[in-house]
Amino acid sequence: MNSSKKVVLVGHFGVGKSSLVRRYVQNTFSDSYIVTIGVHILKKEIKIDEMDLTLIIWDIEGKDDIQKVRSSYLLGTSGFIYVVDPTRPQTFERFNEEMDFITTNFPTSKLVSVANKVDLINLEDFKEVLKEKNIQIDYFASAKLGTEVENVFQTIGMKMI
Amino acid sequence: MTDSEKLIKLKELLLSEDRDFAQNILQKLDSLEDTVNTHEKLSEKVNPIIDKKIDTFVEEIPTKLGPVIADALTKSQDKVVEALFPIIGKMIKKYIQQEIKALSDSINSQVQTTFSIKTWQRKVKAIFTGVSEKEIILSEMNQTSVEQIFVIEKGSGLIISSASKQESIDEDMIAGMLTAIKSFVEDAFKKDQQSLELIQYELFEIHIQNFTSYYFAVVISGGFDASFKNKLENKLFDIASEIKTDAINKEHIAIKLTEFIHE
Repeated sequence: MNSSKKVVLVGHFGVGKSSLVRRYVQNTFSDSYIVTIGVHILKKEIKIDEMDLTLIIWDIEGKDDIQKVRSSYLLGTSGFIYVVDPTRPQTFERFNEEMDFITTNFPTSKLVSVANKVDLINLEDFKEVLKEKNIQIDYFASAKLGTEVENVFQTIGMKMI
Repeated sequence: MTDSEKLIKLKELLLSEDRDFAQNILQKLDSLEDTVNTHEKLSEKVNPIIDKKIDTFVEEIPTKLGPVIADALTKSQDKVVEALFPIIGKMIKKYIQQEIKALSDSINSQVQTTFSIKTWQRKVKAIFTGVSEKEIILSEMNQTSVEQIFVIEKGSGLIISSASKQESIDEDMIAGMLTAIKSFVEDAFKKDQQSLELIQYELFEIHIQNFTSYYFAVVISGGFDASFKNKLENKLFDIASEIKTDAINKEHIAIKLTEFIHE
């Protein structure tokens, strides 16, 4: 059986949404930062429990507040991947509010949170910071090194089927 | 041995080394002069050096000369345009002339095939409609054709079904991007109850017809006039009546779409 699902990556600008998608779909990484304007759509076909699943991945431009994202880009989304940058605290200051917004407005959609760029920080120190702020992040990934990237998308895929 | 002989002997002993050295230099100078003045010998010595320099220069063109040329072109953009404009203008003019000639030849050959049934039909049509035969041929040459058709879920942009005359690039991506463009335009103008209906792309037009939970995107080539649009809309309403959103039979829709684009 084949099924297609829309997955949207959200988060502040420069957190590495496009890098995560490029690492996952094309297995490439570039240090140069190219800002996403509007939306970039990519596709990946995966297999979960003998089921063929096509992920239509919407890599949308970064916004410091999810409510500022063009609402029509979020319609019909089956899975959200919320990305933060551990090197910039402002990208996760309102993390819990943003999560609440997604779960309230898209109750049937699945959600996975990711801290990207973990190759640039001391992970234990960052986890302490998250604990203090009462923030639960699902994955600590690095698009640069490829760490956990596959698992992020595999998990959202499993949650959606 | 006289004093004079002794002096000569002494000179020989003292100066023989210097003389040999001078002789050696003289020989080397002769050889060098010969090399410089003889083309073959000079080439043999100099060519490898020049070749190596040229190779290095070629390798360094993109890094060293590229930015310099780009910078020079940017600074003198107007001059470059002024210089190129007449040349490009002539090329475009020549191309258009050739295309018009080819079109004219094609029309003439169709007009001159006097005995075919199609020609007689066209002549009769010209008499009754008052439209010249050439104009009828012209409109026949610009025949409208449906190249591709997509049924796309609103919001998610996921493809429900599609049909195409030729193999196209990834249809999932096309459906997604069309939905993103549509969403952007509709959001940007913030007009309630209005939606994007047409996208023009060089020789193609993409007609968009909205329904509650999905929309049709039809890629059309040739002249897309009001009469064709009317026929197309009616056809899409017919197909839509067979799409039940609660239980979409994708295979059945795909068959309907394939039949439609080959009509």
